[in-house]
Amino acid sequence: MAALSEATRRALTGVHLFPVRHHSPRTSAVLRSFLDATKPKVVLVEGPQDAEVCLDVLLDAETVPPVAILGYRTDGQSGSSLYPFASYSPEYVALKWARQHHARAHFIDLTLGQSLGYQRPEHAAGDDAADGDADDEPDEAPLPPSMDERIVAATGFRSFEEFWEASFEAPAHEPEGFRRALLAWADLIRHEGTRVTYHRARDALMARLVTEVVERGVDPSHVVVVVGAAHAAAFAQLDVDPALEAHLERTVPTAVTMIPYSFTRLAEQTGYGAGNRAPRYYQRAHDANVDFRRATLEVLCEFTDHLRLRGFTVSLADTIEAYRLATMLSDLRGKSGPGLDEVRDASIATLCRGEAQHVDGFLWSTVIGHAIGKVASRIGRNSLQQEFWREVDHRRLPKTDEAAQFTLKLNDPVQVDTSVFLHRLRVADVPYAAFVGSSAGRGAKKGDVEDAGGHAALSRVREVWEGQWTPSTDVALVERIVDGDSLQQVCERRLSRALDAATSTGATAHVLMEAVVTLAPEVMARALAATDRLASTDDDLPSLASACRALSGLASYGSSRKATALGDEVLASLCAKTFERAVLRLRSACTGTDEAVGPAREALKTLHDLALSQRLVDGESWFTEAHALVGSYVVHPTCAGLACGLLYLAQRLSEADVAQVVQQRLSALSDPEAAAGFLAGFFEVNALVLVKSRPVVQALDAFLLSIEPERFKDTLPTLRRAFSPLGPTERRYLLENLLGLRKLQEHAREAQAVIAEKDKDTLKALGTDMAKVMDDLDDLL
Amino acid sequence: MQVAIATLASDRALMLAGEPGTAKSWLSEHLSAAISGTSTLIVQGTAGTSEEHLKYGWNYALLLAEGPTPKALVPSPILRGMREGRCVRFEEVTRTSSEIQDSLISILSEKQVSIPELNEVVSAERGFNIIATANTRDRGVNEMSSALKRRFNFVTVPVVDDLEQEIRIVTRREAELRGDYQVGVEPPAELSRVLVTLFQELRAGVTKDGKTKVKAPGSVLSTAEAISVLFNSGILAQSFGTGAVTAEELSRSLMGAVAKESGDDLKALREYCETVAKSRSGAWKDFYAASKKHLKG
Repeated sequence: MAALSEATRRALTGVHLFPVRHHSPRTSAVLRSFLDATKPKVVLVEGPQDAEVCLDVLLDAETVPPVAILGYRTDGQSGSSLYPFASYSPEYVALKWARQHHARAHFIDLTLGQSLGYQRPEHAAGDDAADGDADDEPDEAPLPPSMDERIVAATGFRSFEEFWEASFEAPAHEPEGFRRALLAWADLIRHEGTRVTYHRARDALMARLVTEVVERGVDPSHVVVVVGAAHAAAFAQLDVDPALEAHLERTVPTAVTMIPYSFTRLAEQTGYGAGNRAPRYYQRAHDANVDFRRATLEVLCEFTDHLRLRGFTVSLADTIEAYRLATMLSDLRGKSGPGLDEVRDASIATLCRGEAQHVDGFLWSTVIGHAIGKVASRIGRNSLQQEFWREVDHRRLPKTDEAAQFTLKLNDPVQVDTSVFLHRLRVADVPYAAFVGSSAGRGAKKGDVEDAGGHAALSRVREVWEGQWTPSTDVALVERIVDGDSLQQVCERRLSRALDAATSTGATAHVLMEAVVTLAPEVMARALAATDRLASTDDDLPSLASACRALSGLASYGSSRKATALGDEVLASLCAKTFERAVLRLRSACTGTDEAVGPAREALKTLHDLALSQRLVDGESWFTEAHALVGSYVVHPTCAGLACGLLYLAQRLSEADVAQVVQQRLSALSDPEAAAGFLAGFFEVNALVLVKSRPVVQALDAFLLSIEPERFKDTLPTLRRAFSPLGPTERRYLLENLLGLRKLQEHAREAQAVIAEKDKDTLKALGTDMAKVMDDLDDLL
Repeated sequence: MQVAIATLASDRALMLAGEPGTAKSWLSEHLSAAISGTSTLIVQGTAGTSEEHLKYGWNYALLLAEGPTPKALVPSPILRGMREGRCVRFEEVTRTSSEIQDSLISILSEKQVSIPELNEVVSAERGFNIIATANTRDRGVNEMSSALKRRFNFVTVPVVDDLEQEIRIVTRREAELRGDYQVGVEPPAELSRVLVTLFQELRAGVTKDGKTKVKAPGSVLSTAEAISVLFNSGILAQSFGTGAVTAEELSRSLMGAVAKESGDDLKALREYCETVAKSRSGAWKDFYAASKKHLKG
């Protein structure tokens, strides 16, 4: 450990050290009176040195905390760091005091570049993106039991937060006593484990900056240093190693701005340094001059209102009782005033009549709060943020940190513009609104997620979105500025990049659709050209089919967006061309193993739909090719079955033809597995129509009976799969037909019983003839 | 607990709610004994609880002989509690009829009982309060009116879900019972562990390691129930067994405890034995073998 210079020693012992816990109202209150008493000329605050440009905005009268200083990398790498301030953050209070009393204020922590560039060996990747503020506390050390846990166990509190609140937050401390208590406490936890080099290096850097200030001729007694408690304790003990500063050499280019922050996010970050568990409650305490009784009463009144709104019977007497109970509890627990735990216990016992779930379910969010801060308008917002906030205000979209659902009707031009705006945000990857579905009810169902963009967007008349502003919205907006000055530009740039990377018509068609929903005409034209170019070389059937569907959709529906600059004839010819191309690729795409032809099946259906519905394409070519598929024994049997089913549905194959094909396919001569594969494809289309057809069922029956018992076992898995899509209705038809076929109507009742519960005993009771059929069936169904 | 004490120091009455067998009555007994030195002022709530149990009755022989005099008055525990300034316990409030619950409202808000026959009003002395208990399982029987609820602070007595703690409670209470009744033999510690684990797992519907889901039976599996199963197997072992508690006795008493309400509960127990107990070692092996034998029958 390198020795401390004499100057540093003198500086560190001479200045007024004030240890803080971030976001602690009591610390702020005590700090304010400490500053009033010491009247410093220089206030040094833990915060990024190069963020001092933000001070004017932070202290602007227009700025309303919670806000955060946002540092982000400008070298193209992702990475950002947030320094949140609540109005009761000691740092904010110190800066504000300095401004009001014409003292100088400086940040003395790492530059943003240093903190973003620092590679922490102990940290998992990605940690630095979340929070530049997690410090002081060895909260990342999972060594049980930590000092926190031991303190909690020794003092009899239920959590560290409760211990903190009862010991430091609620009692009305004298500045000097509080400062000493906090230093002593910090000294205790500082020795817990080994403080990571990163924090020790920051100690060294801050100590050097403090020394520099003093060396410039400021009397140390006119300097107040406001830093996290562990740093302050290190300074007080002169436990600083200047050599460690070498660890901070790596730096990256960054820029800084300010964004609004929210209580919800503040509560999400736990641990000593990062946040607190109920920001709104502490805000109330702060507003009431750190009177926790007052804050408690306010919260209980709010709970009462909330419960009444939800239809519970809660009287004023209950509120009075809850308050009395909270106060009494805090006395019993040896606290100087009621805190959050008392609020919770008292409201469960009185307001909620013993039901803890009311408090956890909806009341608790009111102590956390979901308000968001406001940054003074004169600086700090880039053009994207400006656009975002202008649009959100103008369109009355949700702007709090609480999820809200809304519906857009796409026959209204204003709402179409809103939809374009939201789709642009989506494409620009700005987290704000999530597409829920085309109707509120449907979106709620799981597994029924609609694609936000794509061809479905064209025919949609309604869109349901869920919007929620979070600080990451603004973070993303700030970061996206490298791609353009407006959302449209950002979208175009991103889509163009996707287009350049696209190698298939499917991908280009996807970009095309995104370009349509986000109204990016330039990209649209380019995407069309790219689709055109790729269509002649693309060999991938699914990709061609999806491109074709997209083009066909555009050609026939247009979209709910304003007229696009696309010529109809371009679309039409491109659509026809892609379709032809796809049909030509049919045969090869349908040959191969199960996995290989999987995507082709979807493509077959798409092409079939298009052949039937889109006049621009040459439907006949599809039907010819499909006929060929049905007849071919080279292609995968599932595809042949699928084609057969599709043609039958389109009445391109008569019932007799189908029966014949099925018989051929299922004839005992051919491989039973191939036959079962054929069946699987066949049933995939519309099983109901097929099982209703007597000849088809006859062929099925004959096929099943002809399989040798030995082979039957091997084929069973495939057969089961083939029959599994059949629902109860289809099974009933199948059975009815089968019974009719075998002239077994009189046994229909027993058969129903078999279907209803596959009971072996009932089966035994049936005649032997019947039993055989039923066994076959039962195995299948 | 602190909420309970803080409540009793005020003019609000205390309501202890919870699953059956979570020691609500025990708690109320100790609370009232600690606060007012007696736990004997008690009203048992039943469907037949009448207003006389709540306020006062008469000694009819004296009433006929002397007319309404203070001597002929038979005070209820509540009236006595009011006069003496003590805590009164009201067990199973939800089992009393709604008329009784209604008259309880006025007692709780006025804190006085008027006796028109004597032209007298008895007001509560300082220290009078009511500790009521109610079963959360009985909610549907006689749901309390919101007016009555309003006069109580609610404390929910939780089910013990810490294994070690429940084992401690069960073995200690069982030993006390054995001492009181002078019957039974001490069960081995590992069997108590098997029993409490089984209770907790069946109650939660999932095994302790969180890997296996088990079907929870409909009957109440409280700590009190576990104590009685353990105590019972001690008596079984002493009277009909070898004199030492084995898995045999344990599983026999367990059948009776679990299958109180329906045969389905036995099914749940059988399922538990097959899916969970079977694969475990140590005392579980014996337990599985014994249960299998009994569950067959």
